[in-house]
Amino acid sequence: MSKPQKSTVKVKRFSKAFVWAHAVNAISFIALYITALPMYTEFFDWLYPVLGGPEGARLLHRIFAVAFITPTFIWVIFDFKGFKLWMKELVTWKKRDLEFFTEFVKELFGFNFKHVKQTFFNAGEKINSIIQIFTAILIIGSGFPMWFPEFFPRAVVQWGYLLHNVGFGLAIAVVVGHVYLSVIHKNSKPGYTGVITGEVPAWWAHEHYTEWYEEEVKKGNFPKLEDPHKPTSPDKKKKKGA
Amino acid sequence: MQYTDCALIMGANPAENHPISFRWLTKAKENGGKIISVDPRYTRTSSMSDIYAPLRSGTDIPFIGGMIKYALDNNLYHKEYVAKYTNASFIVKESFKFEDGLFSGYNADKRSYDKTQWAFEKDTEGNLVKDFSLEHPRSVFQLMKKHYSRYDVDTVVKVTGTPKEDLLKVYKAFCATGQVGKAGTIMYAMGTTQHTVGTQNVRAFAMIQLLLGNIGLPGGGVNAMRGESNVQGSTDFGLLYGNLTGYLNAPTSTDPLNATLAGHLEKETPKTGYWSNKPKFIVSLLKAWYGPNATAANEFAYQYLPKGNKNYSHMNLFKAMYDGTLEGAFLFGTNPVVGGPNAGKEKEALSNLKWLVAVDLWETETSAFWQTEAGSNPAKINTEVFLLPACSSYEKEGSISNSARWMQYRWQAIKPLGESKADLEIIHELATRIKGLYKNESGPKAEPINALYWNYGEGHHPDIDLVCKEINGYDVNTGKLIAGFGNLKDDGSTCSGNWIYCGFYPEEGKNRAKNRDKKDTGMSLYLNWSYAWPMNRRILYNRASCDPSGVPYNKEKAVVWYDAVQGKWTGVDVPDFVATRKPGDAGFEDPFIMMNDGVGGVFAPTLNDGPFPEHYEPFESPVQNPFSSQEINPAIQIFYGKFNERGFKADFPIVATTYRVSEHWQSGTMTRNQAWLSELVPYMYIEMSEELAKEKGIKNKDEVIVSSARGEVKAYAMVTKRFKPHKINGKNVHQIGMPWHFGYKGIATGETANRLTPHIGDANTTIPEYKAFLCDVRRA
Amino acid sequence: MATEYVKFVDVTKCDGCRACMVACKNWNDLPAEPQDFLGSAQSHTKTTADTWNVLQYIEHENSKGGLDYLFRHSACFHCTDAACEKVCPEDAISYTDFGTVVIDHEKCVGCGYCVNNCPFEVISLKEYVDKNGDKYRKANKCTMCTDRLEEGLQPACVTTCHTGAMQFGDKTAMIQKAEERVKQIKDRYPNAMVYNPQGVGGTHTVYVLAEKPSVYGLPENPKVPTSAVVWKDYAQPIGKMMIGATTMAVVGAFITNTIISKKKNGKNEDGGEHHE
Repeated sequence: MSKPQKSTVKVKRFSKAFVWAHAVNAISFIALYITALPMYTEFFDWLYPVLGGPEGARLLHRIFAVAFITPTFIWVIFDFKGFKLWMKELVTWKKRDLEFFTEFVKELFGFNFKHVKQTFFNAGEKINSIIQIFTAILIIGSGFPMWFPEFFPRAVVQWGYLLHNVGFGLAIAVVVGHVYLSVIHKNSKPGYTGVITGEVPAWWAHEHYTEWYEEEVKKGNFPKLEDPHKPTSPDKKKKKGA
Repeated sequence: MQYTDCALIMGANPAENHPISFRWLTKAKENGGKIISVDPRYTRTSSMSDIYAPLRSGTDIPFIGGMIKYALDNNLYHKEYVAKYTNASFIVKESFKFEDGLFSGYNADKRSYDKTQWAFEKDTEGNLVKDFSLEHPRSVFQLMKKHYSRYDVDTVVKVTGTPKEDLLKVYKAFCATGQVGKAGTIMYAMGTTQHTVGTQNVRAFAMIQLLLGNIGLPGGGVNAMRGESNVQGSTDFGLLYGNLTGYLNAPTSTDPLNATLAGHLEKETPKTGYWSNKPKFIVSLLKAWYGPNATAANEFAYQYLPKGNKNYSHMNLFKAMYDGTLEGAFLFGTNPVVGGPNAGKEKEALSNLKWLVAVDLWETETSAFWQTEAGSNPAKINTEVFLLPACSSYEKEGSISNSARWMQYRWQAIKPLGESKADLEIIHELATRIKGLYKNESGPKAEPINALYWNYGEGHHPDIDLVCKEINGYDVNTGKLIAGFGNLKDDGSTCSGNWIYCGFYPEEGKNRAKNRDKKDTGMSLYLNWSYAWPMNRRILYNRASCDPSGVPYNKEKAVVWYDAVQGKWTGVDVPDFVATRKPGDAGFEDPFIMMNDGVGGVFAPTLNDGPFPEHYEPFESPVQNPFSSQEINPAIQIFYGKFNERGFKADFPIVATTYRVSEHWQSGTMTRNQAWLSELVPYMYIEMSEELAKEKGIKNKDEVIVSSARGEVKAYAMVTKRFKPHKINGKNVHQIGMPWHFGYKGIATGETANRLTPHIGDANTTIPEYKAFLCDVRRA
Repeated sequence: MATEYVKFVDVTKCDGCRACMVACKNWNDLPAEPQDFLGSAQSHTKTTADTWNVLQYIEHENSKGGLDYLFRHSACFHCTDAACEKVCPEDAISYTDFGTVVIDHEKCVGCGYCVNNCPFEVISLKEYVDKNGDKYRKANKCTMCTDRLEEGLQPACVTTCHTGAMQFGDKTAMIQKAEERVKQIKDRYPNAMVYNPQGVGGTHTVYVLAEKPSVYGLPENPKVPTSAVVWKDYAQPIGKMMIGATTMAVVGAFITNTIISKKKNGKNEDGGEHHE
């Protein structure tokens, strides 16, 4: 399917810090998932030999557990502004956020839908973020007593097992959707480059985050999409990414 | 034991040290029996008991003396038994006196008694004078009553520190077995014997048991809990320095009668009782040892027996070593640097030897006494040490004899490891090689060796079956095995290496030590399991379980009885009596056939320190003796000088005792080299009361130093509620306890408790006084 | 079907000889592991991976003001409803027909879930080193000598016990014995009781205790931890369902997208193009 009429203009959406943080987060999450799988269900027992036996799996799980804790710090340290924005967005909920969901379901399954105007993060992303934050706290918080049971009361360790399990269950459910949307779903797929290079097609950004895009246009950061073929000024792009 | 109505455990801790015996005590409990534990420390035995009473170490005689008085005062003794079966009715000569802790005939310079002054009165025909009414003022009964009238409860309590109500509880419970048909047993071990009054402690037990009619019946007796699985066997076979085998006395040169066999036999053989057969046993023994070289013409080689003139006890041997008068020593499975009294001095003594042969499973603290790790300077020690590796019991075959006198055969389980050899094999090689060396020599040194009959097969391995046959004995002309010691002769036609075992191998192919029939032959005696000397009797003096007419006192627990129909003694045990004796026959009513007079000895005029047990304080004691001005046993041998430093209350106010734990054995050689046992008791510790710990500022698990006049030992403190200070005369006297298993070799190591213990022993056996000495404790 | 057995431990008959500890190490070939001096006769604070039973020594001042010196052979209880079996993620822990609970080292991954969920704290991890020098862990505990049971023998500790403090036999008979024994010893030990906790469905090591369980450091009413029940009976199945549901949703979305796209193809281009 060719889309010659689409603009190739890209706009800066995410900072390098975010890209790194997201990548570390994603890779460690998947690694944690894989290294835990054989213990979670016998169906995946064949993974043990691949991972170097239970000991290898445990070691890898712990290495990635440490990695899994770092993204927040990466983002906070290297792009505090972006982090602050994220936080702000997460606590800002308006009517359009709710409208988003009804349309989202249609979009998800490929039916006709309309874009509800969204800010930097749309309501779906916000929900995703909130659940991920919540489950990360659960998983990390319960991971410590599991790793170092000798330093915790037995009851804490016992509840830790449960919470780790619950956190993981929730997280994976959300992640499956998240990954699908970003990598496979045709409408959101174009945004995928955002977490790799930090840039997304301008037209896509405009469509999905209209309010944010328009604000950035006002600031003179982004090109107006009436003329999508007009290239963006390179220095302006850089400014945002700094 | 399972048939006992009451078991008094005193000077023993069977739950920890003789756990298998506790199997039977558990059964006794299930059958309604009571268990009493008397111990300075609340032990695991105490926890399993119905009554516990503490006492200060070394006060057993006041404790039992008070019980004797209690039984007499309250008429709780078995009257018929006392009158008929003991020497209570005998009249003692007027020369017998007792005054201020001393019996008559005392020689202070020699520290010994003239025992003839304690003899029984005899009529003109030489018969004993008796008074069965027990009223005669010089009857044993009245003398005993008088002697123990001084042991009233209040005085006893002041000495022993036992709370009065606990003491009375014990007296009441145990004296209840004086009732006709009841049986009480006393179980003791080294807590009783390892005192300067050790023999008299056991005597006191024997006396109360005779008074209560508790000897010779199931669930009765005075039971020695042996310190090793084969102590019984080794003493049976002459391990004790004064014995040949079978409790025959070794001739000494101090008595001129021993110069000839005839004189020796005359001296040793009483006119009455079973020992009147003694010449048969002695001559048969000589025939076993010297074979064809023992003839009537040469006094059956009697002159080849060494005749010493000294006390050859452990302490005296080490004193001789210390003084440099002993050149060499063989130590078979013994570790005196850990196990000997005043062990520091024993180690010093070893360095005066020219040579030492140590036969053991491991290199012990003793065979390594010269090493730097032992605190020695090897450059200054000239002793040549040979270490011969010995087999463990699993690597060899042979028998052991337990405290019930069962001779049980054990088979080899595995081949000996490395170059290790069985003791028997080592002795065999030694004997054949020495004989080889002297073969072509003559003279007084060579003759006994050449005359020795050593005929146990060719080669390095002695034929153990031949050894067994010789022990049993056989007709030297026909080679036919002897059926029992009743068939031994004093004319040189029979041999027997140990008369008491004669009968265990009565015919070819019938070594009864190998019997393994698990069928209960009645009263749980299992007559076809192994062999019990003498003649497979399981309960010694079982005639005493019947009344004078031969009817069992307790019909439900009958073991032997007189069967009027058959006209002989019968039962589920082998009668320890002449089975064919009928009512009216001489001696029909005398159950103690090994005693010259046929009765039990309430009065024992043969002991070195008096015919009645009398309390003396231990060699080291923080307490004055309230019974007399004799502080310590007047008949004990005392070593002076550096070999035996003595401590006093001012410097060492705390009573100390040593003991063993289940997990370690003796000096620990066998167990401290075993990882599974070492992990259970890995460290040397001392047990002390919370009160003492508080006084000394010691906390549980602290390291402490225990000191005595002999040395210092570092150990962990185990502060426990199970030790309480003794209230002696209103004042607190502290006591501590410690295991004596530790040394620096092996897996579990620790400092040696016996560096603290004194070189002092019992007046009769010279057993060291490990169980009561003085010390002090401080934080390390 | 084999008989369901119970090891009946009557602590009031135990004399603390520790032959059970040695017999256990002997049969199961476990190494010694000496510990620091504990200030009492006790050798190990609790069971470990190499010490499957430990004899407890307790100095206890009883309700009458007297001193009791109490002993208890402590080892795995072999619960009827075993927390370790419930939480094991690998099905490495299972019940045998004898009623014993055993760990299959082939399946065990050394996660330690059982260690931390056992209400009696009797399971421990042990580190091993393989041929290549790599370390790995397995959970260890008393097996009730299931290998001996299979041969018609009794557990090594029971066989060696000389006072009859331990007996092994048919479950009902043993429990009955325990109840009778308590009646006999009530005079000496007024707090004596049968310890066969129902919170874990009863156990296959049944005790007659001389004192309340707490005196022995035992839980008065042990049960499978609530967290373990929620985790294994609810959270995990629901979690699996949720993962299944999202996965289904995603798969469904993919399929519907594809179908709708195909239908629209030719007429329009993208779903996203004409919504404004």
